[in-house]
Parts: sequence; structure tokens; C-alpha cells
Amino acid sequence: MGREHLSNDEFFTQLGNLFEHNRKKGHGSVYLTQKRLIFDSASTPATPTKVADDPLWDTHPENPLPVLIRASNNASDKKAGTERQDVAKIVLSTIVEPGDIDTFYIRYAEACKAGMSSLKKRDRKKGKKDKKRKKVAV
Amino acid sequence: MPYLKTSTEWYEQSSLLLKARPTSTRITSKYTVLKPSASKIKKREKYAAKQAAKPADKSRTSSPPPQSNPEEVTATFVLKTYDPVSGTCLQYETTKAAEVGRLVSSLGRLGREMAALPEAIEDLSAPQDAGVATPKVDEQGDVKMGGVPVPAATGTGGGKKKKKGKK
Repeated sequence: MGREHLSNDEFFTQLGNLFEHNRKKGHGSVYLTQKRLIFDSASTPATPTKVADDPLWDTHPENPLPVLIRASNNASDKKAGTERQDVAKIVLSTIVEPGDIDTFYIRYAEACKAGMSSLKKRDRKKGKKDKKRKKVAV
Repeated sequence: MPYLKTSTEWYEQSSLLLKARPTSTRITSKYTVLKPSASKIKKREKYAAKQAAKPADKSRTSSPPPQSNPEEVTATFVLKTYDPVSGTCLQYETTKAAEVGRLVSSLGRLGREMAALPEAIEDLSAPQDAGVATPKVDEQGDVKMGGVPVPAATGTGGGKKKKKGKK
């Protein structure tokens, strides 16, 4: 994919927009993906080389590898009879260097907590009401 | 494609999968907000009507349960660890906002494994701090002996200060 990776800061602002977009729309999804970055890019010369003798060559790389983080929304098409509109797919990606992982994930957690506002809030009142509500949820 | 019961179980299994296949495994988390379908709204309304028609529960003295909005959205957060090579897929689903922080931090720990970093964050600063701290104590000791508060000394002033303290 020819897309440019965003910087971590830029990624967080865009991710915030993505969640905000979802909130405004009132429905829809936000996808977040993470995986090890193995393909060569300018910033990462350290790619584990495949060793023929060792089938577990990738389990012990010499150097820590960066992690690729992707975020996207769901694209949707206009559908007659519903309020569904055409929504273009928004795709974001960023590379987290091994040294920045801890700080990145602290910010990531904050962004997710703020963004996923439609999830059920903690229920303060315990007791019989809970049982009632569980029935509704099922 | 199993949904695991608890988030810890999901984390442990994902961790094992990542250890076995660190390059091909990916973790996708999906946050979805769904508007209920027309039939779902009807179902909820029917249920609410049925609940209202029921004779009041004697054991419950407090106010009736909060009116649930039949058009309330359903929001879920699904974590999925997938390895395309072996086809292993581990999933965990939640609807609770309280779990998000914990889940993302476990994503972070799994991220460390992806980056091939050690699991525990070792505190490397401790011995360094000790090394830096000892000279500081010495300086303070000298100052006390002299009985005169000395402003922060320059690099070359260290030797002179000690002499002053001895006098």
C-alpha cells in the first residue's frame, strides 16, 4: 500500500476524529489492528532474515522490531429505505518504534477510553436491579 | 473461532500464539455501535410492556427499574488475535466500558511481545541512581562539616570546597 504512515502524534489526532465521526453518526465501527512490522521500509533496516536451518527463525530476532498500528472505519453504501449514507473508508496507520511502545500504549488506552463512549458504563447500583437488566440484555 | 470467556484467558492464549508465531499473528480490535433493527425495537417494546403488566415484585421496595430505551444502541468491543498461517483465531467480546483500559493495556503487553521486547519492564535506572547519589551525599557531608551553606559549585570548585571544610 502506498499510503504514508502517520507520525504517532498525528495518528492520535486522526484516531480521535475517527471516534468522533462514529459518535456523530450514532452507529458504525472502528477497527484497530496491530502487528509486527516485517517489511522493509526506510526507517526499519532491521528485518529478521529467514534462516533455512531454523524453523523458528522469527521467534528470536536480533533486534526489537517496530509494531505497525492501523485504524479504520467501516465504509458503507447508501441504502434505500434506511438512513444509511455513503461513507468513505478512512484508513490510518502508524509505526511504533520499540522504544516508544509503553508511552504509545498509555496514550492509546486514553484515546480508546475516550472514544468508545457508547459501551455500557459501570453500574453503581448492585442488587436485584442487575438481575432485571441482565434479562433485558439477553 | 472461539470466543473466550475471560479477558485474562484471551490474553494468555494470545500471548502463547504470539510466542509461537510472532511475525504472522495480528490483533484486530473492533469497536462497533449498532442501531437496533426494527424487529429488535418491537421485541424490546413488547418485553417492556410485559414487564409493566406484571404485578409488582413484593420483595423490591425501591422504585421500578430504569426505563430502558427500546431504541438504545448496542455497542461492543471485540478483540481478535489471528494467525493466518495456522488459522488460529482467538476472540474476546465485551460491552463494558470499564474493561477498555485493561484490555488496551494487555494489547500493549502483547505489542511488546510483537516487538520482541522483554515482557517485564526492567528497572535499569536503579543502579545508575545509586552511582549518582553517592557523590551527592559526600558533598553534603562536606558542607555540613564546614557549617557554611555553599552554593552549587562549578566542576573545578570541588577540590577547594573540601579543603575549606577541613579548616
